[in-house]
Amino acid sequence: MEPLGEQERERLLHTQVQGERLKAAVHYTVGCLCQEVAEDKGIQFSKQTIAAISEITFRQCENFAKDLEMFARHGKRTVINSEDVKLLARRSNSLLRYITQKSEELALNNLEQKERKKKKSSAAKGRTTSDEQVEAVMAESEDSNMA
Amino acid sequence: MEKREESASGFRKETVNKILHLHFKDDKTRVSSDALLLMAEMLNVFVREAAARSARQAQAEDLDRVDIEHVEKVLPQLDCCAVVCQMPKYTTSMQLPLPTHL
Repeated sequence: MEPLGEQERERLLHTQVQGERLKAAVHYTVGCLCQEVAEDKGIQFSKQTIAAISEITFRQCENFAKDLEMFARHGKRTVINSEDVKLLARRSNSLLRYITQKSEELALNNLEQKERKKKKSSAAKGRTTSDEQVEAVMAESEDSNMA
Repeated sequence: MEKREESASGFRKETVNKILHLHFKDDKTRVSSDALLLMAEMLNVFVREAAARSARQAQAEDLDRVDIEHVEKVLPQLDCCAVVCQMPKYTTSMQLPLPTHL
């Protein structure tokens, strides 16, 4: 095998470091979610259990990512959209229903945001619509986090 | 209750985006904002489901502490596809490094 070039090695290392950081982020979130379940059910989770669920979730993401990318490519797109995510949830009826409902909520919110923006900035029209869309969604997600 | 959970915890959009990009084969692949929020929700459901089923398994064994064996027992039925099929291999050789910050 050819020895890796300097650039290639650097890239690999960067990916590894990034992966570890993301794993830690997943572990933290899983910890919070498990805490909620624990309070709900009046039960405790051992640290190893939380670590195991984190690891499983992290691995699950690899499949999700590969499937999503393939679904989008199948639709001749490079941007993964809500439809691709729904396809991912197809195996479980209740999950699909839940995700579809969430998706409709998001779409509705986006529409409202767009209307509001249109009214507000019909005079000052500087930016492109796609920029505004992205901003609208970001603002939306922050709103719902506050609620 | 639903609202509280959403604000208190759950995956962040940015984290989900980065994790997905870790595994994309094509650098040009992007994820729309809505799709990211939905994916975050999918992951929340996945984790809660894993936690709740493991908890139920522990309670069925009359224990008040969920341990790794309970996760192993509910893993095969956990509704997500491919990883779960690979899981037996993973669980039997399960030597999970505990994250260092614990």
